[in-house]
Amino acid sequence: MVLLLKNCNAKTIASMLVMGAGQLLYRQWIKGIIYLGVQAAAIIFFISQGALMIRDFITLGTVEGNAWHGTPGDNSVTMLITGLFAIIVLIIYFSLYITNIKDVYETQRLAESGKKIPGFFEELKELSDKKFYKTVLFIPILGVLIFSVLPIVFMILVAFTNFGGETVPPALVDWTGFESFRRVFSLGSFAATFLKILGWNILWAILATAFGYFGGLGLALLFNKKCVKGKAFWRAFPILAFAVPGFISLIGFRFMFAAGGPINQMIVNGGGDVVLFLGLNSTWLSRGIGLLVNTWLTLPTSMLLATGILANMNKDVFEAAGIDGAGPAKQFVSLTLPFVLFATTPVLITNFMLNFNNFGIFFFLRGGFISEGYFLASDTDLLINWLYRLSIDNNYYSLGAVISLVIFLITSIISLDVYLRSDAYKKEDIYR
Amino acid sequence: MKKINVKKLFDNGITYLVLLTVSFAFCFPVLWLLLASFSKTGSIYSFDGFFPAEYSLDSFRRLFNDTVMYNYPKWFSNTLLIAVFSCLFGTILVIMTAYTMSRFNFRGRKMLMKITLILGMFPSFMAMTAVYILMTHFNLINQHWGLVLIYSAGAPLGYLVQKGFFDTIPGSIDEAARIDGASGFMIFWKIILPLSAPIIVYTSLTLFAWPWSDFILPRLLLKDRDLYTVAVGLMSLGDDEFSRFSAGAMFIAVPIIILYFGLSKFLISGLASGAVKE
Amino acid sequence: MKKRILVPLLVLSTHFLVITGIILGAGRINDEAPAQKIEKFTGVLERDITLRVLENDTALRQGYFEELLNAFNEEYGQYGIRAVDANMDQYLDLENDGPFGFGPDVLYQANDRIMRYALGRHVQPLPIEQLDCYPHIEEKAWDAYKITIDGQDFYLGAPVNIQGPLLFYRKSLLPDPDVLESWNALYKFSLERRENGEFGYMKSLIDAYYSLGFLFSYGGYLYGDNNTDMEDIGLAMGDAERGANVLLKLASVMDERCVDFTITQISYSQFASGNFFATMTTPDVFTLFVDELMAVGYSREEALAEIGIADVPKLPLSGDLTEENPELIPARLMGGVNGFAISSYTNYPNAALAFVDFATSYEMVMLRNEMLGIVPARKDAAENVGELAQTINNNLKEGNIVVMPSLMGQVWTPAETFFTDLANDPFRKIADQKFTTPKSRIDALQKLSDQIYDAIHTLR
Repeated sequence: MVLLLKNCNAKTIASMLVMGAGQLLYRQWIKGIIYLGVQAAAIIFFISQGALMIRDFITLGTVEGNAWHGTPGDNSVTMLITGLFAIIVLIIYFSLYITNIKDVYETQRLAESGKKIPGFFEELKELSDKKFYKTVLFIPILGVLIFSVLPIVFMILVAFTNFGGETVPPALVDWTGFESFRRVFSLGSFAATFLKILGWNILWAILATAFGYFGGLGLALLFNKKCVKGKAFWRAFPILAFAVPGFISLIGFRFMFAAGGPINQMIVNGGGDVVLFLGLNSTWLSRGIGLLVNTWLTLPTSMLLATGILANMNKDVFEAAGIDGAGPAKQFVSLTLPFVLFATTPVLITNFMLNFNNFGIFFFLRGGFISEGYFLASDTDLLINWLYRLSIDNNYYSLGAVISLVIFLITSIISLDVYLRSDAYKKEDIYR
Repeated sequence: MKKINVKKLFDNGITYLVLLTVSFAFCFPVLWLLLASFSKTGSIYSFDGFFPAEYSLDSFRRLFNDTVMYNYPKWFSNTLLIAVFSCLFGTILVIMTAYTMSRFNFRGRKMLMKITLILGMFPSFMAMTAVYILMTHFNLINQHWGLVLIYSAGAPLGYLVQKGFFDTIPGSIDEAARIDGASGFMIFWKIILPLSAPIIVYTSLTLFAWPWSDFILPRLLLKDRDLYTVAVGLMSLGDDEFSRFSAGAMFIAVPIIILYFGLSKFLISGLASGAVKE
Repeated sequence: MKKRILVPLLVLSTHFLVITGIILGAGRINDEAPAQKIEKFTGVLERDITLRVLENDTALRQGYFEELLNAFNEEYGQYGIRAVDANMDQYLDLENDGPFGFGPDVLYQANDRIMRYALGRHVQPLPIEQLDCYPHIEEKAWDAYKITIDGQDFYLGAPVNIQGPLLFYRKSLLPDPDVLESWNALYKFSLERRENGEFGYMKSLIDAYYSLGFLFSYGGYLYGDNNTDMEDIGLAMGDAERGANVLLKLASVMDERCVDFTITQISYSQFASGNFFATMTTPDVFTLFVDELMAVGYSREEALAEIGIADVPKLPLSGDLTEENPELIPARLMGGVNGFAISSYTNYPNAALAFVDFATSYEMVMLRNEMLGIVPARKDAAENVGELAQTINNNLKEGNIVVMPSLMGQVWTPAETFFTDLANDPFRKIADQKFTTPKSRIDALQKLSDQIYDAIHTLR
């Protein structure tokens, strides 16, 4: 950077003031016009809307609306989001601005060393080859930025406001700093329930992931066995389960295990007593059923994936191992498992997180209870269910955002740690 | 020789026993829900024991003919449209992203990998407010393209699965092609893509199935009844519409199963078979 | 050397300053004119417009809504006003849709919904004295839509029908009309039927909407000061434990299915098969009973004739269902008032008001009753549609229908947990039973009240 500042010539400096000016001076017409257009568009955007958006982001509105009198007023939440949007535009503008300077500086260096300055179409070609990644990643990154990052940043910011309860639009929301954090952490009754739920949540995530993942792998291996005839046919059964939407299966399972459901009817007809599978006091029975049902739901996807991965495994290695007299069990442990694990560590982590934050399973399966010794939570609730009850049932968005942040910190630290230790991250090219 | 045969026979027997058990475990609940939709009252709640006493096609007839209030055929075609395009765009984006992240080494790549891994972990239901307000500003409420946009834009976040797959394809293949003068794009198009059939099948199946069962986003973004997707439409049915609910729910499975059978032969044609064909 | 680095730095900062200047400068422009209060109901009809109306699903399905729209359009077509179906989900989200222009102009909702929208001023206060229905509707029904701000009363909806639980029973299985008079009699009859392996009264007891009423009947209440003071949760107050005792006894004539949701879902078919004699529900599910009866071979007319509907039986003052010749008190159950409201975001308030006036007229309410079997809130209509409608109107007037408050989000889960635990008791071993003494029931109700209090206030 310093080098750039020291050595830059007038044409490069021109680009620092007006984007694309240097490029135009080097007779790179199309590129210059594009950069110029970017700057013009950015300035027009900020004068017409962007500047106001940023101002409103800071104030979160000053005029309270009253729909009864037809005065719309300011919508703080909209302002928070549009402000964020404007900030993202600003960031994109500055990164393009910097690219513009770097680009012209590179041209300057080429010109100084007497090399030919590439034309527009030559550069385009470059983008489809060595800089292919830039071309490809542009759209996904933009999409993720707007539809994933922006909402998450919004959520994080909400934790620093008083949004929620009675303070929802049209009422004005304000920045309150760490007030929401203070309120969440100063609640005495909170800690005990939090720890209990966290313990169960971690256990659940581990078991659910292990069952789903190894079950899927096992199924894929089973269907891959040489002696199995009609593989596509057998594989179709789990696909059936995959094809029925999850919430519908869950409603079905809930009834299946209900006091008046078919299983209990069979028990009663057989002379037994009604078993409250998912009842108030059936803590471990409900948890077990939840685990089974969850496995039923997730197995097909992981089977599909494992099948795809196994298809790519080099069969020569197997044949070699078979010749060396390795049994099927040994083959599995020393060849198949590391290979599949390598390719699917990220999936394992993602599944762990999906299970950790599995909102639907107990929500649909067991419904709402408050268990003895829990603060407004049931003994099958995961943190996310508890969060939902605390924040959505009561509309306490800012407090919900604080708890989300805590959950997020826990899960992301665990998963980053696991990921960074894994072969999938450390030795990406081990199988290449 | 004989000894081996006995062992093999035993092994086969066990294999098929497990196969049957597994298939039953997956099939039974689905069959149960399916029969409910064919039962005369159209409800799992009116059975005595596991299965209905009488069957009829009434539920399905009403599902497709009585469309004044609940326009299931329309919902179905809406969802099909959204699913097809989300699956198409999403798959392209995911595959390209994963391939790039697997094959190109550039500054900030590892950082990007770490960030994307944890981005998906945010409890997402609270971010919905933001998505809704964004979509009102883009004027994409009551628009199917809005949903396609969100589904496709969200898909690349899951690229790590596909990247894991690309990491298992030997790099020597690309290098050979590069020496032959193929560009980055050509290598991807001509060489890598044909080898990736199984993972493309997996990706497109999951992306296709997503809009069929998601009711949170469409409920948020589609206000007009005629624009609903099947999942939202089914959830909006009255308490007294069990029969339609189960019939409609079962019918969602049809396109997904058709897609599976259409694609299933690619699921196993991986590197090994691909290399032989070359 | 230094100079060389200074020039680009200067240029860079100039660029940065220009951008900052633009943002600060353009951000300072004050774009808002001072707010002006607009009087919406001017009495002048907006012309050549389309009014989007949201009705409930039953009205759509049974064809009533179409009749209503046609009748309205015929009369108001001359002004160029056309009402159409808003074609949205009946449980709309006006808080989020309204401000962005996606909501309906006129909406038909239950009172708890309308009053929730009132808090954010999403529905418009109505000049109710101008409405034709104003003098014909009981004050209690209007009160369901009343909000008081700074000492001034606002009414946010126009009542159409009164929702209250009723007893549905099989006429052919009724041995003697006295069975429907008191819960003691119904309990006794249910016991007799149990001896034959059949059931009498069946109802999921964990459904707090119905079960809370048994606590209300004996003096318990949800929020103090007519369900407005959320600091005061009174489910253990008065003799509410007697209500809990009634529920305990009712559970004992059912079976374990009353502790989850199953009874509600199987009740229609079991009712049709004659296995259940009676259940309690609101009139809007009437068609389900008809359908299930027709599925077992009844013709439509036979089915309609077979279903008996009666007012909720009276309760024993002592709370003891086994008592012979008890002193009886009326049951006070949860209910509501459904009606029309106008969105604050409508551009056509006067046309919308005309629609509300039209839809709450005597003729339309009578037609609604005829097609949907609702209980009219208009007294003149109720008088002409039969005894039951008058009973329900009277129940509301006497306070025997407790209008559901708008803030129930924090009530359901704790309440359902309590009722589950309670209904489970008769099926426990005698030694394990928790609710056998009045004291134990009072304590449990107090705990329930505390939980609701916590849910509401902990995060406040």
